[in-house]
Amino acid sequence: MIRFETVEKWYGQHQVLAGVTGEVKRGEVVTLIGSSGSGKSTLIRTVTRLENVQGGKVLFEGVDVAGRSVDINRLRQRIGFVFQAFNLFPHLTAAGNITLGLERLRKMRKAAARERAMTELHRVGLADKADMLPSRLSGGQRQRVAIARALAMDPDVMLFDEPTSALDPEMVGEVLRVMKTLAQNGMTMVVVTHEIGFAREVADTVWFLDKGQIVESGPPAGVLDNAGDGRLRSFLSRTC
Amino acid sequence: MGYVFDPAAVLTGQYLEWFIWGLATTIALTLAAWLLGMTIGIVLTLVRMLPFRPLEWLVAGYVEYHRNVPLLVQILVWYFGVPEILPRAIRVWINSHHGEFLLAVIALGLASAAYITEDLRSGIRSIPKTQYEAARSIGFNYLQAMSYVILPQALRIVIPPLINQTLLLFKNTSLAMAIGVGELTYRTREVDSYTFKTFEAFAVATIIYLTISFAIMAIGAFADRRLKLELR
Amino acid sequence: MLQILKDNWLLFLIGQYPHGPVGGLAMTVFLAVLGLSLSFPVAIGLALARLSPYRWLRAPATAVVYVVRGLPLIMFIFWTYFALPLLIGHAVGGVETLLFALVVYEASYLSEIIRAGIEGLPKGQTEAAKALGLGYIPTTFNVILPQVLHNMLPSLVSQFVSTIKETSLGYVISANEVTFAASQVNNQLMTQPFEVYGLLALTYFTLCFTLTSAARWLERRLTAERGGLGVQLA
Repeated sequence: MIRFETVEKWYGQHQVLAGVTGEVKRGEVVTLIGSSGSGKSTLIRTVTRLENVQGGKVLFEGVDVAGRSVDINRLRQRIGFVFQAFNLFPHLTAAGNITLGLERLRKMRKAAARERAMTELHRVGLADKADMLPSRLSGGQRQRVAIARALAMDPDVMLFDEPTSALDPEMVGEVLRVMKTLAQNGMTMVVVTHEIGFAREVADTVWFLDKGQIVESGPPAGVLDNAGDGRLRSFLSRTC
Repeated sequence: MGYVFDPAAVLTGQYLEWFIWGLATTIALTLAAWLLGMTIGIVLTLVRMLPFRPLEWLVAGYVEYHRNVPLLVQILVWYFGVPEILPRAIRVWINSHHGEFLLAVIALGLASAAYITEDLRSGIRSIPKTQYEAARSIGFNYLQAMSYVILPQALRIVIPPLINQTLLLFKNTSLAMAIGVGELTYRTREVDSYTFKTFEAFAVATIIYLTISFAIMAIGAFADRRLKLELR
Repeated sequence: MLQILKDNWLLFLIGQYPHGPVGGLAMTVFLAVLGLSLSFPVAIGLALARLSPYRWLRAPATAVVYVVRGLPLIMFIFWTYFALPLLIGHAVGGVETLLFALVVYEASYLSEIIRAGIEGLPKGQTEAAKALGLGYIPTTFNVILPQVLHNMLPSLVSQFVSTIKETSLGYVISANEVTFAASQVNNQLMTQPFEVYGLLALTYFTLCFTLTSAARWLERRLTAERGGLGVQLA
């Protein structure tokens, strides 16, 4: 569904993506791990053109996302994106954050949008917080609303950019649980994360990035347990 | 002292009329200048956001001029200086159509616009770029992202400073007296020179100014409380 | 314009001295400096009074600040013009009036800045001072105020610029500062008001813009000093 073909990107003189090639199949859960600066966040952001690439191609369902004929806004409606900093709209309630896209883009009527929003909030366990402003919610709750907001658009794939990195430890669990359920229901997911436990349990494939390249990839048990020598081993010993 | 406080003396007949005319003129000045200032302020802000560097410099120059030259001097330049360099026909037209009022409004409005565009710009800037990214990630285009996500937040941030600007504008209308506009301060001096009841005359004017100022301040405090979102 | 400057620069700069009192730009700067300096102690007093737990101090201080904020400066100047001679018993000239009005006006705005500065200091500062056993006076004057004033430096320069602009109101009461001097030049020349007042505007602009730029530089230095207390990440 998503294909990276020798993707390259520079920030000025610094090369942040150095020829990344890989594929995410429908229904697959791929986790990207690696140290900061390895390019994992940048890579995931190229899929919806939050970052542009200078070399190689990023393909969504066979179409180059940077193509001239691509309607980027429609593309983004089909790809759900969850940010590290949640990025909820502070002037709208939890439900409001969700209905905004439904009413304005899907042209749903208020009642239908509200109903859908409530369904999604229920799915993430926050139906009772529907009419609260984000400022009254905890970090974990905000991130769950963000996930609900992305899910409400019926995306074909969900992208997560370090979804739990900004959370206090006790709230990480509630978000990971939601993500796990999503995976079990067959959603295609690409997750950039430091949560090795999540990768082990939920991912179908793990990509280890270092200096802008995929250095190791494969099923979690294989990659994580047989880390061998080298960069992956030292990364794992630092994070676990 | 043998001085009897006699407000009634200044609040009767012709003098009362002068006060009322003064207040009306002050309000008219404030409204007209406010409209002019907001319009130009918004236009300047939009111009600044265009990706053309020299435009930013032009606007910055406009803002710096109006912030570093005293408002009174700006008024004097407009009233004494500008008509001299305009073609004769326009000068005649201005003189026969309440010239001093017009020029005072222009001076006050343009000065306000400078401050307004600065307030607007910093309001928009204070919205983190990530809000725009999140809006685009849902699939909104530029205009939709601005209208549904960025601008609503920017307005909340910008309204308290704008109310403060309105207060300043209201107080600054008093400077128009220097070029003969019959606003409240001018009229107060008129009443004073006819009745010699300086204290009473100025007391009345003070009460009027304070009432309106406090009203604007109260609106500002109210807006501040209501609009304060923890934009975290 | 250059011709006007060449013919009248002395008048602009120092008024009619020595054939009259000092005036012009010299008087403008003098008034601004003196005005701001004298308003300083008053401002500190007002700020402390507003923060005091005693009603009888707080209420009048708050009243003064609100009244001054609600009145146009020119009204204030007129009040001073007719009330000051009554207070001190003899007539006062335009410059003295302007000075007095400026001091009170500036003091009230300055006191708000100082008050915000005091409230913005971390509570730990007062607590540490108390823990050492310092009383109110040493805490305030040796611990709190020095920090507040240091942080306030850029705002102070801004207020100085404001004061310079406010001196222009001397024109209305014939106080001998540079705007009044310019109007005298204009009355002599009669035929070049744009050049005269344009020159006046340019003078203020040069002076104030330089100071404003200095204030911005100070602000940048301060922020760097504090280790970039920048925007909070969302």
